[in-house]
Amino acid sequence: MSAMTTTPRTVTVRTSAAGFVGGIWHFARREFRDAIASKWFILYTIAFTVLAVGVSFLSLSGVGSHGFAGFGRTAAGLLNLIMLVVPLMALTAGAGSIAGERERGTLLYLLAQPVSRTQLLLGKYLGLAAALVCSLCIGFGVSAVVLAWRADGVGTGSFAMLMSFTAMLALSMLSLGMLISVISRRTGVATGVGLFTWLTLVFVSDLGLMASSIIFKLRVQEIFGLAALNPLQSFKMAVIVNMNASLDVLGPVGAYASQTLGGALPWLLASSLLAWTLAPLGLAMLLFGRRSSV
Amino acid sequence: MRFPILHALICLLPAATEAMAEPQVQRQPVTVIAQMIESAELGDELLLPAGVYEGNLVIRRSIILNGRAGVVFDGLGDGTVIEVLADDVTVRNCTIRASGENVTGEPSAIRVIAAKATIESNTIEDALFGIDLRQAPDSVIRGNHITCKDMEPGRRGDGIRLWWSHGGTIEDNVVIGSRDMVFWYSEDLHIVGNTVRDSRYGLHFMYSHGSVLEANDLLSNSVGVYLMYSNGITLRGNRMRNNRGASGYGIGLKDCDDITIVGNALLANRVGVYVDNSPSSIDSTGLFEGNMIAFNEIGLLATPNTHDNVFTGNAFIENEEPAATHGRGRLVSNSFAQEGVGNYWSDYAGFDLDADGIGDVAYEPKSLFGEMLAREPNLRLFVHGPAQQAIEFTSRALPELRPEPTLVDPAPLAVPPKIELALGESGRGGGRMGMLAAGFMSAAVALILVMSTQPGLRAVREGDRS
Repeated sequence: MSAMTTTPRTVTVRTSAAGFVGGIWHFARREFRDAIASKWFILYTIAFTVLAVGVSFLSLSGVGSHGFAGFGRTAAGLLNLIMLVVPLMALTAGAGSIAGERERGTLLYLLAQPVSRTQLLLGKYLGLAAALVCSLCIGFGVSAVVLAWRADGVGTGSFAMLMSFTAMLALSMLSLGMLISVISRRTGVATGVGLFTWLTLVFVSDLGLMASSIIFKLRVQEIFGLAALNPLQSFKMAVIVNMNASLDVLGPVGAYASQTLGGALPWLLASSLLAWTLAPLGLAMLLFGRRSSV
Repeated sequence: MRFPILHALICLLPAATEAMAEPQVQRQPVTVIAQMIESAELGDELLLPAGVYEGNLVIRRSIILNGRAGVVFDGLGDGTVIEVLADDVTVRNCTIRASGENVTGEPSAIRVIAAKATIESNTIEDALFGIDLRQAPDSVIRGNHITCKDMEPGRRGDGIRLWWSHGGTIEDNVVIGSRDMVFWYSEDLHIVGNTVRDSRYGLHFMYSHGSVLEANDLLSNSVGVYLMYSNGITLRGNRMRNNRGASGYGIGLKDCDDITIVGNALLANRVGVYVDNSPSSIDSTGLFEGNMIAFNEIGLLATPNTHDNVFTGNAFIENEEPAATHGRGRLVSNSFAQEGVGNYWSDYAGFDLDADGIGDVAYEPKSLFGEMLAREPNLRLFVHGPAQQAIEFTSRALPELRPEPTLVDPAPLAVPPKIELALGESGRGGGRMGMLAAGFMSAAVALILVMSTQPGLRAVREGDRS
């Protein structure tokens, strides 16, 4: 089953750097192969592609006859879609990974191989990340075909950046999913917690922040700070900053952020996404490293 | 022998570099031109020799100054560069640069305090004010290219300013990075084919009545056209694009009567049209007909007291909010249809059973999120997100949460009206987008190949065998 047996070695977990990377690499490939052959991957890819193409097509159809193509509108439509679908994909994929192996009893078998738990976790993470990026590439690629066919003057750079930020969002949500997976005993629990997290990030936190900003009369800097903590809001703001060079589209709060942070704004938002990738993954490695986590 | 030659070369070097820095430019005081003007007959055309003329020139005789490539008036950063005090003066084909920058005295590249001046095809650089007409009726400003001093917007001067100068023609000028192109107390102006970009207000009217604005291009300013306390103005076939910022209007109307706005394109502004108490007098109206109002954050924004405007045959396309009230209230004192012809709204969800081009149910936008935005502007942070959709969905599911409609269009158009727009800059990104598509697809294929090719499988099989 595992490729680890090709490198006969003593059962020490500590190996050379090449061996360490090799171990991760083998797990990553195994995870990727499993992922792209699985139903969820194919289903999500098809769903995302069809929706993305639909949004691109619809947002252009009202416009083409007037000779003015606004990528902004396409992007706005795509933003909504991405913020709904991509976190769902990544969270459920991550949530199922370790918990699934644990429930099937294969986790003990894998850990009996001469590899560390860190290698196993990172390998699984990279494999799933590659599968998600592959899925996004297909979705964005087909939409790009539609845009290339229908529209003139579409912001190619903006579209490429939209894809990059989406990939970052997927990686952070996957990271969160793996953390959920490590702390959940069963797949059902992991998936449930994953869905609850999705609901929280997508709807509950925004609605909560809206309500609190009205009730507590939050100041713009407080609203911005709290919103930027949510990786989905960070993603949205990063995409809009990238397209418009300013956040004034987002009203007083956005104008405040552009004015006070200026050129640092996109980096700040990107680092929020990066923090949401590294922190849960680090925590997952820490918790998974403990004996009791099997 | 070698040393003397080297020595001679070294001595010549400074002289040579000096000559290279300013090739064939004659710098002389501008009094040379002043003497030429003094000795010319009235109405003569002076063909100026190339050269840089330094200092401030005052023209007190009716004369035609015709420059050419290389004729430069340089104010050396002090005062007004050319001041025209005689009627019927023409300044043509000159480069005018470096006015003073202290706002006291309002230093300009060209100031005219006389009638019937013609300022044509000049290039103006590094000026606080570009062209400043004071009590200069029947003047023509045509084909000038004006860039202002590189300052923060609040400290800049105006690219073109008219003050109490009736009957002027302002045509085909390009103004970049100034404050406003502004018209004070000036009537019967023809403002055609100008471009203003990266400035504060593109075209700004203060108490200036009865003018025609046609085919101007106002791009990336704070406000495209701002009419204040100015009556009887017609805007026809202008383009306002990407005017943004805290105010950020394509067209702003403040207490203006009898305004006619026909066939303009208002694209991707923060607010397409902003109406603040216009018309303000009883028995006057505002007409908006056949405009394309598309891709703005808010298509039409009006103060609640706005009344007696007629909107007919406009296309409201893909605005984040088609129409909103500034503050709370409704726009019901305005007509959104005239003689059975309403407007096209891209979010109209009705139908047209008899296929007469007019929707069979009225257009009544009811957006709960829009209502919330009117009360709490800070919530705009949450647009373009699923939470916004969730709120709209809730208000559709629970009718008691639905707000009153912002407006009622009794005869919405079923198909967008044909609006002729001469939109330049229709980019050709199709090819590059195709390459991007190919890039994404090949990235996906490459990932699949790298992650699941034979070596991995072989390793597994060998592993199984051992």
